[in-house]
Amino acid sequence: MSRAIPLLVAIPLLGAAVNLLLVRHRAVQRVVAVGCTTAGLGLAVALLVHVEREGTAAVARIGGWGTSIGITYVVDRLAAVMLVVGFATLLVVLVFAVGQRAADEATPYYHPAYLVLSAGVAAAFCAGDLFHLFVAFEVLLMASYVLLTLQGRPGQIRSGTTYVIINTVESMVLLAGVGLVYAATGTLSMADLPEALAALDPGVRTGLHVLLLVAFGLKAAVFPLFFWLPDAYPTAPSPVTAVFAGLLTKIGVYCLVRTQTLLFPGELDGVLLWVAGLTMVVGVLGAIAQADIKRILSFHIVSQIGYMVMGLAIGGPAAIAATVFFVIHQIPIKTSLFLVEGVVEHSEGTGTLDRIGGLARRSGPLALCFALPALSLAGLPPFSGFVGKLGLVSAGMDAGQYAVTGVALVVSILTLVSMTKIWLGAFWGEAREGPSGILGRNRTMAGATIALVAGGLALALAAGPIYRFCDRTADDLTTPDRYAEQVADR
Amino acid sequence: MGPLVLLHLAAAAVVFAAGRHLGRRGLFAVALVAPVATVAWAVTQVGAVLDGATPAERTGWVPSIDVALSFRLDGFALLMALVVAGMGTLVLAWSVAYFGADQPIDRLVRFAGGFVAFAGAMLGLVLADDVWTLFVFWEATSITSFVLIGLDHDQPSARAAAQRALLITAAGGLALMGGLVLISQAAGTTSLAGLAADPPGGTVVTAGLVLVLVGAATKSAQVPFQVWLPGAMAAPTPVSAFLHSATMVKAGVIVVGRFAPVFADLGWWRPVVVGVGALTMVAGGIGALRQHDAKLLLAHGTVSQLGFMVVAFGIGHPDVTAAAVALLVGHALFKAALFLTVGIVDHATGTRDIRRLGGVGRALPGVAALAAIAAGSMAGLPPALGFVAKEAVLDTLLHEDDPWALVAVVAVALGSILTVAYTARLWWGLFGAGPATERAEVHHRPGPVLVLPVALLTGLTLLGGLFAGPLGDRLAVAGEALDPHAHGHLVLWAGVTAPLAISIGIVVAGAVLHLVLRRVGGVPAARVSGEHVFQRGFDGLLDGARRVTAVVQNGSLPAYLAVVWLVVVAGGVGALATGARIGDVGTVVADNALQVAVVAVTIGMTIGVAVARRRFSSVLLLGGVGYGTAVLFMLHGAPDLALTQLLVETMSLVVFLLVLRQLPEGYAAPPEWAPRTVRIGIAVAAGLAVAGLAAVAGTTRSEAPVADEYLARSEPEAGGRNVVNVVLVDFRGIDTLGEITVLAVAAIGVANLVRAARRDLAPDEDEDPLDAPLDDGPSAAASDDPTVAGDRSVIFDVVGRGLFPVLLLVSIYVALRGHNAPGGGFAGGLIAGGAFLMRFLAAGTPRLARARPLPTSALVGTGLLVAAGTGAASLAAGQDFLESTIWKLHPPLLGEVKLVTSTVFDVGVYLLVLGVVLSVLTHLGAGPGLRPVRGGAR
Amino acid sequence: MSLVLIALIAVLVGTGTYLMLHRTITRIILGVALIGNGINLLLVGSGGPAGDAPIIGHGSSPADPVPQALVLTAIVIGFATQAFLLALAWRNWTLDGNDEVEDDISDRRLARREPDVVDPYAGDDADLEEPR
Repeated sequence: MSRAIPLLVAIPLLGAAVNLLLVRHRAVQRVVAVGCTTAGLGLAVALLVHVEREGTAAVARIGGWGTSIGITYVVDRLAAVMLVVGFATLLVVLVFAVGQRAADEATPYYHPAYLVLSAGVAAAFCAGDLFHLFVAFEVLLMASYVLLTLQGRPGQIRSGTTYVIINTVESMVLLAGVGLVYAATGTLSMADLPEALAALDPGVRTGLHVLLLVAFGLKAAVFPLFFWLPDAYPTAPSPVTAVFAGLLTKIGVYCLVRTQTLLFPGELDGVLLWVAGLTMVVGVLGAIAQADIKRILSFHIVSQIGYMVMGLAIGGPAAIAATVFFVIHQIPIKTSLFLVEGVVEHSEGTGTLDRIGGLARRSGPLALCFALPALSLAGLPPFSGFVGKLGLVSAGMDAGQYAVTGVALVVSILTLVSMTKIWLGAFWGEAREGPSGILGRNRTMAGATIALVAGGLALALAAGPIYRFCDRTADDLTTPDRYAEQVADR
Repeated sequence: MGPLVLLHLAAAAVVFAAGRHLGRRGLFAVALVAPVATVAWAVTQVGAVLDGATPAERTGWVPSIDVALSFRLDGFALLMALVVAGMGTLVLAWSVAYFGADQPIDRLVRFAGGFVAFAGAMLGLVLADDVWTLFVFWEATSITSFVLIGLDHDQPSARAAAQRALLITAAGGLALMGGLVLISQAAGTTSLAGLAADPPGGTVVTAGLVLVLVGAATKSAQVPFQVWLPGAMAAPTPVSAFLHSATMVKAGVIVVGRFAPVFADLGWWRPVVVGVGALTMVAGGIGALRQHDAKLLLAHGTVSQLGFMVVAFGIGHPDVTAAAVALLVGHALFKAALFLTVGIVDHATGTRDIRRLGGVGRALPGVAALAAIAAGSMAGLPPALGFVAKEAVLDTLLHEDDPWALVAVVAVALGSILTVAYTARLWWGLFGAGPATERAEVHHRPGPVLVLPVALLTGLTLLGGLFAGPLGDRLAVAGEALDPHAHGHLVLWAGVTAPLAISIGIVVAGAVLHLVLRRVGGVPAARVSGEHVFQRGFDGLLDGARRVTAVVQNGSLPAYLAVVWLVVVAGGVGALATGARIGDVGTVVADNALQVAVVAVTIGMTIGVAVARRRFSSVLLLGGVGYGTAVLFMLHGAPDLALTQLLVETMSLVVFLLVLRQLPEGYAAPPEWAPRTVRIGIAVAAGLAVAGLAAVAGTTRSEAPVADEYLARSEPEAGGRNVVNVVLVDFRGIDTLGEITVLAVAAIGVANLVRAARRDLAPDEDEDPLDAPLDDGPSAAASDDPTVAGDRSVIFDVVGRGLFPVLLLVSIYVALRGHNAPGGGFAGGLIAGGAFLMRFLAAGTPRLARARPLPTSALVGTGLLVAAGTGAASLAAGQDFLESTIWKLHPPLLGEVKLVTSTVFDVGVYLLVLGVVLSVLTHLGAGPGLRPVRGGAR
Repeated sequence: MSLVLIALIAVLVGTGTYLMLHRTITRIILGVALIGNGINLLLVGSGGPAGDAPIIGHGSSPADPVPQALVLTAIVIGFATQAFLLALAWRNWTLDGNDEVEDDISDRRLARREPDVVDPYAGDDADLEEPR
């Protein structure tokens, strides 16, 4: 089982290769893409089950070399669940895109790029080696560059340029960080690093820590490094934005989790608390100020990242568990909101609030598909967002972090403000003339959207077991040496 | 109890899903199932609960953070359940007649669905025992209320009112959430009964209680949060009657009632709660006197009455609490009855404006009589329940020796005077002798279905008053549920007592006030309305958000980059400041003389790149810097790096020049975002910060590098002497797989962008997008093309054709020997690319495209397939991914030949790199004739 | 690592940063390239002392091969990024006739209190419906 882990990366790559050979056969490309992503999801699920049954991480040694000189793929609880959620999202969005056709008929390179993105995501979650993490980032970044500028439209080029250059800087910072980590410790294996880093001169250690935080912070779009996101994401085709919004930033968060729990446990938490608070506030204020659904939602990505960083900065099993749950909940919720926006844009031609309205009259189901995730995003019961927020808030108050917890509560009412803004602007009010049953008209898109919304609701229903899983994950993450023990050559 | 709540939700779901097909009566029938069933169930429970039973049930939801759905049916819960379900049934039945047949069906669907969903949420709220159960349903009522207020959402006023109500109550909800977290953490339990059993204490709990009270105040429309309630009257009358007078607005009162007996003895509690309640009572009363719309008048009246209840429940003296229960029931009955009456009048005449109404009493004497009784109850006139309850509250308050009880008495007295006044205003406005001019006519008389519920409610009010004693004994159970020491008893006639005197005084004063006001023409409308204030604040919020966003999100890339770099610098400095030990820096000035020279030259060229005025020269200088770096790599003992850097630098130089042909020669001077000095400052800081890190890192290596292990195991186990290459294709092969993937995708991206451009620039030609890029003929051997000056192409031609095969051979050799000497698939691929480049140049740029031998994307795909396939293959062979195998072959003449699977991997790399180079060259090299869409620079 | 090398790294990164703070994409790309070189040198330099080529049988004191392998990967990725950026610059030129990064339109509109009309081209999937 463990040996198969690299297939999570290899299958999409092979699929991409095949798709490059089949640039002229769009239909086949679609089949290949969906097939590979489904296979990836299946494998991810199998791994999650495996990890849960064994109670320890699954480890693959690439090339058969040991952890020290070779690269290992490590799928512990956190990685496993991220892989499952990630591939599920990738699959749903891919189906949505195939249904919408727009994105993948614009160019024969959509599917190859998308598959490479999947491979990069998988590699980033599995990587047990710091430099390989860098490579994985490059893979998914380069793929994201292509997807963002897919149709080469002016808006995409403008914001794409910003996105590419900012992320290039991020890569360089990360490269410098990783390289210096090796220079300082002489190893890159995440299993050996905690010990090696702990032995370092404090100044050097902080320096390395800061470099990694800046790199991952940029990727996760935390204050003050978030500004590229709200400019870039709204310009991409909806399916692309959806997967970026749901997944890419969370990879940054995933790396922050590793940094704060594995590499530099608990260091610079004070700084992160400030970062978290400011990220929440600035993000949500931006959302309130916008007048376009995609832009509102894009700012919410930022704001919600703040919650995750908050949990991370509070630290301790309870907070980490809440953070993990929050991440798991965010990916489908945020993605489904963007899919709904995609449906709206597909039908109305725009997502700008003053150009649409009365959609609830024309499609009740669509309105519901927006309302449920939106309420969840705002943290209202009985949805998964409430569970996540309650977990974070209780952990925060338990830890005596009243200020930042209070901020989190205030921010969630502001979140509700912007959600009502969308609701009043797009779904209520005088219905523009136009065909009704918006959702029903494209069955594939509808299916994908509804599936994801349902998934979000399932998270709420199954919150009990899921949260218990998060507790176990948090226990793994907060127990020193647990990672090393799991990876140690058995 | 859970199932009953679910029943409501199910009914709502059915109504929403199938309502259109059920028809008007059908969907109301479905909706009615749930509340009727609840009433039936509640009635069966009465006996047991009166005997002191408290059935409870608990379903875990998220045990990790002890969130559970748990219900407990004590006396108070049962009473409220009866109120909710009973009222729900009556009002829903009433609305069947209220909404005429002319109503659009989907409006009815949304009304009935929302209504029953709310009823379910409210039921859950009153039965909740766990704080989180309470909270879940609390928020659920806010949301359903939002939907119902916005029932007619094409009216802006309705939308605004709905949003206002939701935001205020939800904000309160968040305060409540925070408070509940604090309290339940301090108490170590989330059960309300548990909290009451042993209440926690301390400053944290105090903070928590304040937050809880804020939540309660928003929900029960206490000053200053009462602004949302009048707006909520945008909802149809049944909604106002049920949600915004009888049930939802009681939620805050319920919470106060549950907490007061436990916490009222905290020093600050009574001043705060009684103070707020009293204020609300008066403010609401005055507000009611200002209104002309009968519904708004009732709404403000509700605010006032809620204040009364908050005082009665909040003061936390056992007997007062018991009396307050009667007050709550009384209010629910008469207020709903009055709302429905207003609805009837509205339905009959088409207006609710008491200035136009009046005299309707002659047309509808029965309704007027019922309304008179309900109004009497509201005004506290005997023998209605309202009178009895108020008497009880006053009586019990007077028996407490507590200054705040006296304050309460005064407040109640004042509030009640106003109540009497606005009650009179309402009744005479509706039924009394009306105005001579523009009197509203009664169009159609109300049917029995409209009148019956009102009659029932009024009847109950009357009976409650007449049989105060027995009712009191029953209600006592509810009171005891809140406070075990609460002993309530109600009497209609207690003889001539202080309370009676006060009541008489109240009625007289109220009547006088009413008459005076009629004389002077009523209370003038408020100068500034609550809605206005709220809107101000809301707009302020939006504007503030916009201002902040305009600053932090200014959309300028250079500014963004500056921030990023400043963060890096700050972090680096901060780190070094924490006492990094500067290691062996300074001991070595230079490794050797040559290094100094190269560095000097490179620095020179670097500066040159920055100061160069023309793109062309700056790019050439950049190439120089690259070559300098290559030499430094060589000096450091990294031949592979040097070779790769050399090749890559050359290749990127070519690519750069290919693009530059298109761009203007010099740099335009676009408006810069910041003065040069600032930019230079940031740049210097960045340079120094990185240099500082360079100085400290690597000087404090904490353990022996794994390098030695690589050197030791490279040849025996991986079958290669060139360790760097072995690391690349074997030890860390998957890095290389990723790396070439990046290359491949980059090539895709380039091709994709070029195709996009060609779609715009040459839309007329319909060539297959995957064919060679646009080729505008030999004529376009563009003279402004530095790479190819027409006359040199002859020489290039000869050289190119000559070199092509040689270079190809060299590339293959380099690729194959890579495992043991500098080289490898990557270098090989680049050289091969160079070979083709020579041919292109020979052929002249315009035919770059034509010269492309095979579809590059296929080449790239094949390379990726081979490389990734090698890994998968070894997995299929039962080994680890990318695990290499070594075959020793003994072909004739050549002696032993080692064949390593990683060589196959390297072949994949070779193919892919070649494909990438070709793709990039052919795409970027194409069409110098292209011109911008929006011509020249702007 | 020797002082001159550190000096060069400082200059490369500094100059690169300066160039990146311009609006002209060409300059920005030049800056990226310079910083890239600087960081590669940083890794090789700090990765271990200079030595002989890490090839078995070449010299007694081989340099640390790992940083070399890392940097080699980095160089390639840098090349890929640069190529893509150049394509972007070129595409930008085909649209605007220059290669300058403009400020984000929506952000500016917001700052100027103008209604945000979303760029007619930007990611509007609807008009992709009709075949080209």
